[in-house]
Amino acid sequence: MKFAHLIAASILVGTLAMPAASFAADKPVVGLVMKSLANEFFKNMLEGAKAHEAKRGDYTLKAVGMQSETDVETQINAIESFITQKVDAIVVAPSDSRALVPPIKRAVDAGITVVNFDVALDDKAKEEAGLKLAFVGPDNREGAKMAGDALAKKLGAGAKVVIIEGNPGADNAAQRKLGFMDSVAAGKLDLLDSRTAHWETEEANTVFSNMLTAHPDIQGVMAANDSMVLGVVKAIEAAGKTGKIEVVGFDNIPAVQPLLKEKKLLATVDQFGQLMAANAIDKALGVVAGGKPLEGWVKTDIKLVTSDDVK
Amino acid sequence: MDTTDLTTAPAGSKTIATTTKTVLREAGIGIALIALIIVFSFTPHFLSSSNVTNILTQVTINLVLSIGMTFVILIGGIDLSVGSVLSFCAVVAGTVMTLPGLDPAVAVFLATISAIVAGIGFGLLNGLISAWWAIPSFIVTLGTLNIARGAALQVTNASTIYSFPAAFNAFGSQTFYGIPLLFLIALVLVAIGWFVLTKTVFGRVLYGIGNNEEAARLAGHNVFFYKVAAFTICGVLVGIGAIIYMARLNIASPIIGIGFELNAIAAVIIGGTSLSGGRGSVVGTLLGACIIGVLANGLILLGLSDFMRQMITGFVIILAVILDKYRERLTKA
Repeated sequence: MKFAHLIAASILVGTLAMPAASFAADKPVVGLVMKSLANEFFKNMLEGAKAHEAKRGDYTLKAVGMQSETDVETQINAIESFITQKVDAIVVAPSDSRALVPPIKRAVDAGITVVNFDVALDDKAKEEAGLKLAFVGPDNREGAKMAGDALAKKLGAGAKVVIIEGNPGADNAAQRKLGFMDSVAAGKLDLLDSRTAHWETEEANTVFSNMLTAHPDIQGVMAANDSMVLGVVKAIEAAGKTGKIEVVGFDNIPAVQPLLKEKKLLATVDQFGQLMAANAIDKALGVVAGGKPLEGWVKTDIKLVTSDDVK
Repeated sequence: MDTTDLTTAPAGSKTIATTTKTVLREAGIGIALIALIIVFSFTPHFLSSSNVTNILTQVTINLVLSIGMTFVILIGGIDLSVGSVLSFCAVVAGTVMTLPGLDPAVAVFLATISAIVAGIGFGLLNGLISAWWAIPSFIVTLGTLNIARGAALQVTNASTIYSFPAAFNAFGSQTFYGIPLLFLIALVLVAIGWFVLTKTVFGRVLYGIGNNEEAARLAGHNVFFYKVAAFTICGVLVGIGAIIYMARLNIASPIIGIGFELNAIAAVIIGGTSLSGGRGSVVGTLLGACIIGVLANGLILLGLSDFMRQMITGFVIILAVILDKYRERLTKA
């Protein structure tokens, strides 16, 4: 009973708010569905989008974030409320590449332009739902290969390396691992072990210390994100092996800048997260303004960052 | 829910029989730890001095949090907020430590004080709310878990704090004859916890409350005070844990410490402390934390997959509780 009231109330609020929104000089409204804003990467991305809104000035941005990385429910609710509010475009970074397909299909059916960025929706799930949707985002596999290749070039063929993986089941973690594996194959590296540290600094420190005990001859580490690099570098320092083990990471977060400068981190990959949402919004507004619908995979920039890039 | 004669026994009147029982209980956990070490010693490198250093380093944070958790579980409570509060203490301390223009020594000192004060703040909040309104601490600390996490994100605007003084960083990786300095600090905290719980009236009353709160109240003890005190002690240890985290990893971030509460609870339970309160010890907790640390390390050295590792850790927790049931019967008979 209570729930029904709540739903009724929220619908009422939605419809009341709607005329006010469309009143604002007919600027198109873009609904942005983000992942966890507790994650620095997405927080920066949101700030980039807000700066973009102020700069362009020809659209209104409504952003929704989640409590945690796996809070799928909040994203589904956000998309449904955007449909009710009849926004012009929805730009979404899905927390789950399958669960988000049905609500996105409803949005598309309601005539809303939807752009999928950051993490691609599952192709099979899209096909089953009869949904055709382009993906705007970086090639994580290619990025990881760039970092892995830098490591292979530095160490040479036959070098003994390990991989520290992201969350098992996460698409970007899987793609980055594949990219590292591509480098292992291309550079003829000797992969000793590959384990997850769930994207976390402390866990990466523990897991890598233990790997180093099992394989004291490790020469290189490929970590799937820079938070884990922080833990790996501390483990190398604690083992007194600074300079003897090369590390590459991913994301180019501020906290690894000193490590790049001191050459404790060989390279990391910047996927320009701050611009990612803004780029996707540009693409969505292009379609809203009558442009050609997007197709396939619209790849965004990635760049290898080394100590040369740090002043 | 069973009342033993221990409840109303005044401090210091422990019989030889109960002492023997306590020793037996902890010996059981000790034997489990030794058995585990023997099994793993067949894998190369496990007993190497650098690996022992690693295990002790990896055990330290969980051990410090588990000492505080022991106090709370002994009175029949639980603290789910420790991971989030650790993160909050760390970002407060990190902010203080990186204030511009501070002498490094002063910065580290002020940061340590501020982490402990932040921990005490949340400990008091947990204790006061659960004791005053008689709300299960499970619910209260579930609330403060979110409050502390949100506060940590708010203070930092979700960014990571890094670049602490070099001396502080070096302090974190200091070792004495292969034993990490941070672990030695944790051992001192275990000793203090052991003394407080077994050698003081205060400690005996905590056990009494865990066994039978009403009886403790009727015996004239201010139960409200003791409950708040237990949560506050836990808060102090979380503050210290935060500083240890920062010394070890050289960062403070609002997303660290997720799930630390579960590891701490696991260490306490494996260490033989009863979840319903009134029974257990910090020495058991020390052994419990070591079992978790040895298991995590040994299974990686054995080359087991991450998923198998997670499953085995789960089995060990359940096994420990089942064994505890038998030990309880054995020592009661």
